[in-house]
Amino acid sequence: MLLFRGPHWDRGLSTEELQQAMNKVMAWFEGLAERGKIKGAQPLGGEGRVISGTDGRFVMDGPFTETKEAVGGYLVLQADSLTEAVEIARSMPTLRYGISVEVRPILAECPILQRHPELVQRVKDHVGEQLRVAVAA
Amino acid sequence: MNTTTKSDYLLLFRGNVWDRGLSPAQLQKVVSDWMAWFERLKAEGKCAGGHPLEDEGKVVFGKQRTVADGPFAESKEAIGGYFYLTVADENEAIEIAQQCPGLEYGAVVEVRPVADVCSVRQRAEEYSPGQFAGARA
Repeated sequence: MLLFRGPHWDRGLSTEELQQAMNKVMAWFEGLAERGKIKGAQPLGGEGRVISGTDGRFVMDGPFTETKEAVGGYLVLQADSLTEAVEIARSMPTLRYGISVEVRPILAECPILQRHPELVQRVKDHVGEQLRVAVAA
Repeated sequence: MNTTTKSDYLLLFRGNVWDRGLSPAQLQKVVSDWMAWFERLKAEGKCAGGHPLEDEGKVVFGKQRTVADGPFAESKEAIGGYFYLTVADENEAIEIAQQCPGLEYGAVVEVRPVADVCSVRQRAEEYSPGQFAGARA
């Protein structure tokens, strides 16, 4: 998964520069799509909420997408390796304008269970039981 | 254009250290609850998919297209996984986020609307309408 951070990279660009940059981004995206590298991709809206605390009791506006760290969109890549994913990330045209791209392998299984293999069977049993209860209800 | 009344949201689960220090029984419960929650949302047609992300990844940034290890091994802000929701409105997305079983241990959930068009492109089109008629990235 590629996470694009810093959605306000267009600040300070002229209309012409911005148009060129956008055309490059679209060509980059279409090139990847043609090669079958894209499983999914979406920009994210600036308005969001951040939920925290037991039972989600704190609901705050955010995150502040003005920051360089804010995630402005994502792309799920079909790549053979982390190396290939990084190469694709490096070819993103807007890196020169200050965005950063976080490249994260997608896991099939919860990392907590990877650290605690002894819990796998018990968790499976418990999930099965909860879903049976939910279906019955 | 979105012709249905459903809207899409991304839940980003933040924090990859909240499970440290939990007892095996607590871990078993929180992981089971989380998986059962995911399966229930999928069965209800409210979640189109989701994945945990591996802690280790890479960050690509700058004009030189620098590749660094990252994002960060342990952090409250690190994104540990995501769900893709298709729900009626933002309130429903928030309600679902509030059910996250990791919240009581310090996990944070970011709720972000999935946008049709990236915000930069939207701004670009405002400057020069009609210049970006190509495929939507």
